[in-house]
This record gives sequence, C-alpha cells and structure tokens, in this order.
Amino acid sequence: MGTTAARFLQDLDPGRRPDLPPTTAGTLRLDMRGDGCTEHWYLTIADQQVRATRSADDADLLVRADRAVFDQLATGQLHLAEALLRNELTLRGDMALLMLLRRIFPGPPGARHPRALGRAALAEQERSR
Amino acid sequence: MRQEQVHVIAGNVFAISDAQGDMEVDPQAPVGLFSFDTRFLSRWVLSVDGERLNALSRDDMTYFETRFFLVPGAASHYVDADVSIIRHRSVHDCLHEQITVLNHSAKPADFTVRMEVGADFTDIAEIADVAQLRPRNVHVTTDTHRAALVLRYERERFGRVTTVRSTAPAEVDGGGLTFRIRVPAEGTWETTLHVSMTMQGEGDRDMRADLESHQQNVRDGMGDDLTAWLSRAPQLVAERDGLEETYQGALAALAALRYQPLAYTDRVPVGGLPWAMGMCGRDAIVACVQSLAFTPELARATLRMLALLQGGQLDDDHDEEPGKILVQLRYGELAAFGERPNALYYGAADTTPLFVVLLDEYERWSGDADLVRELRHPARLALDWIDEYGDLTGDGYLRYQRRNERHGAVNQSWKDSPDAIVDAHGRLPAFPRATCELQGYAYDAKRRGARLAREFWGEPEYADRLDREAVALKERFNRDFWLPHREYYALALDPYGEPVDALASNIGHLLWSGIVTDDRAEAVAEHLLGPQLFNGWGVRTFATGQRPYNPVGSHLGAVWPSDNALIAAGLRHYRFDAHAARIAAGIFDMAQTLGGAVPELIAGYERSLTKYPVQLPSAGRPQSWSSGALLMLLGTLLGLRPTGEDLLVNPALPPGFGGVELLDIPGRWGHTDAYAGDRSTRPAGRRRS
Repeated sequence: MGTTAARFLQDLDPGRRPDLPPTTAGTLRLDMRGDGCTEHWYLTIADQQVRATRSADDADLLVRADRAVFDQLATGQLHLAEALLRNELTLRGDMALLMLLRRIFPGPPGARHPRALGRAALAEQERSR
Repeated sequence: MRQEQVHVIAGNVFAISDAQGDMEVDPQAPVGLFSFDTRFLSRWVLSVDGERLNALSRDDMTYFETRFFLVPGAASHYVDADVSIIRHRSVHDCLHEQITVLNHSAKPADFTVRMEVGADFTDIAEIADVAQLRPRNVHVTTDTHRAALVLRYERERFGRVTTVRSTAPAEVDGGGLTFRIRVPAEGTWETTLHVSMTMQGEGDRDMRADLESHQQNVRDGMGDDLTAWLSRAPQLVAERDGLEETYQGALAALAALRYQPLAYTDRVPVGGLPWAMGMCGRDAIVACVQSLAFTPELARATLRMLALLQGGQLDDDHDEEPGKILVQLRYGELAAFGERPNALYYGAADTTPLFVVLLDEYERWSGDADLVRELRHPARLALDWIDEYGDLTGDGYLRYQRRNERHGAVNQSWKDSPDAIVDAHGRLPAFPRATCELQGYAYDAKRRGARLAREFWGEPEYADRLDREAVALKERFNRDFWLPHREYYALALDPYGEPVDALASNIGHLLWSGIVTDDRAEAVAEHLLGPQLFNGWGVRTFATGQRPYNPVGSHLGAVWPSDNALIAAGLRHYRFDAHAARIAAGIFDMAQTLGGAVPELIAGYERSLTKYPVQLPSAGRPQSWSSGALLMLLGTLLGLRPTGEDLLVNPALPPGFGGVELLDIPGRWGHTDAYAGDRSTRPAGRRRS
C-alpha cells in the first residue's frame, strides 16, 4: 500500500468537485502494473463526485500503465497527454473520460497563478519609482 | 527559386514532393510523408535504368490524389522516349502509389525500376526550428520474399514504424526496392506501393487488412465523402467569372483539412499546410465561425473537442489554467517527451472568449439548443476564466504573459509573432499586455454568454451579471484605449495602463465584437480603408508610416484573408456596407488572381504598385481560416444573418461584382436561398432550374 498513486486515490476527497462537468458520468479502471502483480483502482464519476475503490470490474475506460507512471501522474510530475503520446499509458474504451483524470490528478507542483506575474510587473514599476 | 512542390492531403496525413513526385530531404522545407506530426518518409525517389524522371504533366485529381506523367532522362530528348511512367499517388490513413511503366516500342524491353526509400522520423516541429534537427537510429528490416521494407524508430516505449510493401515482386535492400522487369511490346507493367504509418501502441492490426481498407476508402470512401461534403454545402451561382470555382476550391480545402484526432470520433479542422497540420484552437474556432452558413458540422465537432480538452490545472510549462481553451495540440516526439509544451498548449488569451462566441453563434445559425445545454459547464468555466485568470493586473482587462519562458508564445492573440505588438516607433511594451481585440472578444463573450444563460441555462441572474460586466467593460475600454487625437483605438495597453499607440488592423476586430461606440465607428472604418491600412487587396496588419511597418512582416504589414473576413463582417455590423464591399472585392480579386487555395497571407505592398499579389514563403496553403475567410466574405456580401427562426438576407455587393445566388443554405430554417442582384451590371436572373 506504499505507492504514491494508491495513497492519493485512497485519500481522494469524496466531496463535490465543481471543475468536473455535472453531466459527465462514467467509470474508469486504473491498472497499475507492479512487480508481478497489477493493482486495480476503480473510479466512479457522477454528479461532480469521484469515488475511488479497489476493484477489477470492467469499466467504461481502462487505463493501464506501470505503477511508477501513475505515481508521477498523482504528483503532477507527468502530463497525461505526454504519457499517452509516449505510449506509457494504454487505453481501452471511452476516451472522452480520459481528460477527467487531468482534473482528478493534481497539476505540477509550484505552478503560478497568472496574477502573480501581473503583481510582479506592478511591483517592478513601484520599485523603479 | 525553389522548385514547385506538389502535395496530397487527408487531414493531418500529407505528402509533399517535387513536381516529379520525388521526396528528398530539404533542411528548410517539410518535404516528405507526414502523419501525426512525424515524417514517415524522408526519401522517396523513383528512377528507371538509373535515370531520374522528368514530368510531362500532372493531374491533381482531388486534394488526396495526384497523377504524375513522367519520362526518364533530361528534357532535351524526352519527346521521343520509348518509355513513360505514371505515378498515381493518394493518401488516406496511409499513402499508396501505383507505378505504371508503359513500353511504347514495338519490341519487349527490359528495365530496372528503383524506388529509394528512407525515413528519418523527424518531428515537423524540428524542421520549423532547424537548430533542433537530430539524427535518429532507424532500424531497417528487409523482406524480399514478401516485398516489404520496414523502418522503425524507438525511444523508450515511443515507437514509429513505416512499412513499405509492393504488390509486384521486388528485390528489397535497406535503401529501397528494385524491380527488374520485362515489359511486352506496346505493353505495360505496374505495381502498387503501400506505405503504412504506425504509431506504436495502437495494437497489432493486420497490415494487409489495413491496406485493403485503405484502397476501398480511396476508391469509394474518400471520393464519396468529398462529394457528400460539397453537396451538403450551399450551391453558389455567380455571374462573376471564376467565383464559383473559387468557392468550390474553398469548400474542398476545408474538406481536405479535416482530421480525426486520436481519442475523438469526429473530424475537426487543422490549421493548414505545412506547419499547422494539427489542431490549432484559434484557427479552428475562426474557421468555424467563418463557415457556419456553409459547413456547420465543423463547429459542432470543434466545440465538443475543445470542451473535452479544456484546461484543468495550473501548469506553467503548458501555460494552462482551469477553464482555458487550448491553442495547440501536437503528436510529435518533442511534444511526447515534453521538449516542447505542445502536446496540449494553452498559451493564448483569445481562444477562451472566442470559444463562447462560437458556441453562441453556432446556436443562432443551427438552433442546436442541445449542444448549448451540453456545453454549459465548459462555457461557464471559460467565462469564469476571463476574470479569474485572464485579468492579470486586476484592472479589468484581459491580458497575457507567458509562464513558459523558453518555449511559450510571446504574444498570445492572433498576431502571435514575437515582434507583432509594438508601438508606432518600434518600442515593445512590457508584459502582461492587454491587446485591444482581446477586450472586444471578452465583451462579446460576456454578452453572448448572457444570452445563453438566459435562454438555455435558466440562469437569469448570472445573465444579468454578465450583461452588467459587458457594459462596464465597454465603457472602460472606450475611456482607456481611445486615442482622441488620432481617432483610433490603441493597439494595446501596457501593464501600467499606458497605451501602445500603433495603428493596426486589430481595430477592425473591435467592430466585429461590437465594443466600438456608434460615434466612433466611422473614424475606425475610415482608418481601416484609408491609405495607411488598405493596400488595394485588403487591410494590412500594421499601417504604413510607422517605424516597424514592413510589407513582408507577417503581423507588421502583410495582409491576411482571415483578418479581413472578420473586419468586413464588423464593418457591416456598423452599416459601413461600401467599406465592407471594398475589402471583399479586394480579397476575391487576390484569391482569383492567384488561383488555387487562398494563401494565409500576402505581402502588404500597394496593389497599384505590384499589380499582382506578392506571395510570401512563410504563407502556407491551403489554410483552414483562409479558405473559411472566402466563405465568410461571401456571407457578408449577402448580408446573411440569422434572426429568430429565419435567415435575414441583406445584400451589399461591390459595384461590378455581378449577381450572386446562394442556394440551400443550411440552418434552423431547414434550407433557404439568398439572392443578390448587382444593379451595376444586369438584373439578377433567377437561374435556378
């Protein structure tokens, strides 16, 4: 139970997530390949909520990758689209659900809000006065 | 002078060769066979008995199919050649080329036919950016028994494979296929070479089945698909010579530039040949707005696709924020390994408001309320983005500044070259920048968002709020951007609120968005058609008489049909019908003078000086938003405007343009016709049988 991705999913906030489309519902199964065994995580998305459980049931979208790849996704260090292009992820099923993972997993650490740049520009002017 | 290039296109699969059909690496030009941004053939050279071939003629049958008629040897002696060769090339999801050797003599003849084959698997982004071209280890496998040559490139799990197969027996070596043939007297020999392109990870499909389905597709599917596409679009009947052909050409170009993205079921427009053969959010949205009266299916597919890929996180590398609409989607190796941020790149401040504009405009034409309800959430996220992430300094203006300082776009609206936003003296403003047209788009998005909220989402309070914000923005904008002594709007504001005083075509977009107050519209219209901006073909991106003006500078003087289409539409919004007609006449003159697909831009030289539109090497064609521009200009001349459940037609043609009829315009009204007579020629006859 040590991996980052598994911990992330275990601790996933079950509350409402306003960034998910309310009309989108579906199931995703994440198959995390490890040494000799595959861990199955099952995400049920409905009503802007995500429930994560352990199950090998069939889902609308199956996402398969090495555990390390999921760990990097769960820490925002790997971009989903790049992982897909690199063939680190393989998919089967309803591809439209894939981009929801981009909202469920975090973005890269240390990213700035654009306003931080605006504030910096204004502060620069203040200093030069 | 570079030799003529010949292309065949099917979505984001395309092949560019010389006039003989040969492809050889050119460090500066994207010659070869490309798919999903990767060059799967960099060498494809045909010879007979060791001699290269010469083209006698060519038949460009459709955008996806071309025939080359060739003879061996130099031009001096080919007239009485005993042998000729036909290369019949087409693309779909792969390329196939039928080679026919004709022996014209009365005796059987022996020939050695050779096709040299090479693949360097270069990412097209590297060719655009020459310093980045890298050598790759390509693994070659030959199989003479099955007449197949396989070229494979792998990096970690990323793999790209080119497979060349011949229907006729061949000797295969690492550099190509050789055919030692005997052709009977007055007889022919032929083979078909199939080139399939695999992105590893798609699963093991039977190659032969793929090839057969491809042949089937080219013979039936592709041809039928084009015919159906053209028949769904309105029919144009025009008195003006050549206009109907130009119109058909624009429709065919849009058909050629549709592609089906990975992980998506419908086809959306790519930017255009050669550099933008992938999804470009801005180009796609504009092309869809332009073509709503003609090919509305593009808009529906594009809106859903962009919604699916809407930004979800703060991400500096990809200049992404929640709710933002993407500007670029690429599949090449640089994108895959994060060496360029363009697997999904969001560095644009215009795409997000324009997404809302397109959604509303699409509904006005199509009456497709279901899509408006389906896309409520992404549209609201987009509207939220404008204020939450687009207002960088808190002054209420939509601004941009890249966070990816290595590879991000410096300028993040349609004039995206690094030097495009500059004042009349050539000084570059600081970041974050608020260009004027972005404020127009934001204003328009809020007003249109308000309509959608009120009529479809059942959110009257939200609608009122958006309307109030739009009114306030218009007022603020007219106070801060207007340059009273020059009587035009500043190109931009710097972060401290100082105007960037250049006169540029961006002010035309303000008319299109409706943010110009009525009392200032005439001054704007006069500037647009004045000698500094209008060059006789169209409105220049940047006015003459200012230091940075450069007639061959993409955004500092050149003329873009896509820009002009929006400007002409804006002029008609404010009832400057004659101004709009002059622009439309100029752009149609340009398109018809050049022939073929209308280029993305031409030089800004005065028309009376050059007489002929000066093309620029940087200008690709076909381009979706250039071809779309011709459609939109036609709609503008006819004054097509959906009003309630009907289509309003209010023509204003340029003098001497000749009558125009546009039949079976699709929309919420079913199909309807528009007629425009030209009183300066003869009364328009209704020639519909």
